[in-house]
Amino acid sequence: MDKLLTLWQGSGLYNLELGQAVMVMVGLLLLYLAIYKKFEPLLLVPIGFGGILANIPEAGLALSALDQAIDVGRPVLLEQIASALGGSLDSQANIESWRTSLQQMMANGASAEQLATAKAVAKGAGYGDGLLYMFYTVAITSGIAPLIIFMGVGAMTDFGPLLANPRTLFLGAAAQFGIFATLFGAVLLSSMGWMDFSLNQAAAIGIIGGADGPTSIYVSSMLAPELLGAIAVAAYAYMALVPLIQPPIMRLLTSKKEREITMTQLRPVSKLEKIVFPLLLLILVALFLPDASPLLGMFCFGNLMRECGVVERLSDTAQNSLINIVTIMLGLAVGSKLMADSFLAVETLGIMALGIVAFGIGTTAGVLMAKLMNLVSKMPINPLIGAAGVSAVPMAARVANKVGLESNPHNFLLMHAMGPNVAGVIGSAVAAGVMIKYLG
Amino acid sequence: MQDPELLQEGLGLMALGMGFVFVFLAILVFLLTLMSGIIRRFQPAPAPVAPGGGAKPAPRGKGQDDETLAVISAAVHRYRSKRRR
Repeated sequence: MDKLLTLWQGSGLYNLELGQAVMVMVGLLLLYLAIYKKFEPLLLVPIGFGGILANIPEAGLALSALDQAIDVGRPVLLEQIASALGGSLDSQANIESWRTSLQQMMANGASAEQLATAKAVAKGAGYGDGLLYMFYTVAITSGIAPLIIFMGVGAMTDFGPLLANPRTLFLGAAAQFGIFATLFGAVLLSSMGWMDFSLNQAAAIGIIGGADGPTSIYVSSMLAPELLGAIAVAAYAYMALVPLIQPPIMRLLTSKKEREITMTQLRPVSKLEKIVFPLLLLILVALFLPDASPLLGMFCFGNLMRECGVVERLSDTAQNSLINIVTIMLGLAVGSKLMADSFLAVETLGIMALGIVAFGIGTTAGVLMAKLMNLVSKMPINPLIGAAGVSAVPMAARVANKVGLESNPHNFLLMHAMGPNVAGVIGSAVAAGVMIKYLG
Repeated sequence: MQDPELLQEGLGLMALGMGFVFVFLAILVFLLTLMSGIIRRFQPAPAPVAPGGGAKPAPRGKGQDDETLAVISAAVHRYRSKRRR
């Protein structure tokens, strides 16, 4: 009978907390959105599944060895850990309060050495780092996964439309207003006392407005790792929602006449220009914003591999198999941040709300900038392509094309919209560099 | 709370960041225009069939056009007459 009881007490059902159950439902919801609604399935399937794995009770897949030992260890082990951390446990209190006081000890005041000893104690007792925790350490803490994905994106991007009409870069710049306006919004929310975001956290939330998954993950892993789960989910979910969020804003801000503007055909761009471009961008980054050099450096590298034409195999790997492998790891690692105690908070709702505001403001700024440029420049510019200034390649450009076709079925804006679209990628990476420089 | 300070810092970061993004991309626009100008001067006129980013190239000959038209109308005619039966 005793053994039966032990088995029951070790079961998931016995240990399931309400938060974990809710998070499993959230994971299932993400899977549903990915599989049936086709919301960025490449990312949301691994994220959703990782989220479910991270919330399996007692398994501790997303925890480090030490956290796991504290979570499920026996009293003797807990005392050992406490002494390794340089504290002691109240012998009167029950084991649950021991666990919480140990976590507090770790959170405030334990030195790196003490943590290392405590970790060794946990490992010695047979606890190991959870699977997802290891993915997280390898892929995100090191910063490597977002960067490799950025390299793949570089290898997939054709800068031809941008080179043919460099002024569209301004549209990509304007759309980054979404990032900074959202940052300010987050700061405003916390100064009014509704939420509690630090400036670092506000910056990481703002980057959602860049509509660029890897950039958001990179920045939040550096500035606010505790919000990474919510930020990544918001970024990818809203990227998938671009075709729903953008068109109403675009129609509201433009007249039918403006939407019908046809643009002059882009000139052909020579191969040499395409090869020189990534190098030029790299030099510019090196000179003015070294903090953006991890992101833009990898981006330029990927693009150079594509355009130089002598390393087909590398370019092919970067944009296919490598990016796929890394996407799996990145998705699972992000999923590990969907643990109940950190994800189920008011702040997550705030992030979701701010994220959609960021997209809206970015779109608005892009369209308004395009209207302004149309007024001052000789070449006609259709304001719709401004909306493509938020990155979300190539979704945003397709949306601009689609809305344009609604007004004039012979007006194909896709190529013109690709210019601001890839400019948006550069713009958000630059914005990320500024944030890291300022706050990192 | 540290309201005014945080708010001020947020505002500062917003102005700085937005300004920097614009300046950076403006320099990039300038350099790109310069670069394209130089390259096009010394290596003029890339072949019209170059893998450009332009929309569909449309160098159709008149004769070919007529021929296509004839084939299409024949096909349509055939299809319609088949359907009527």
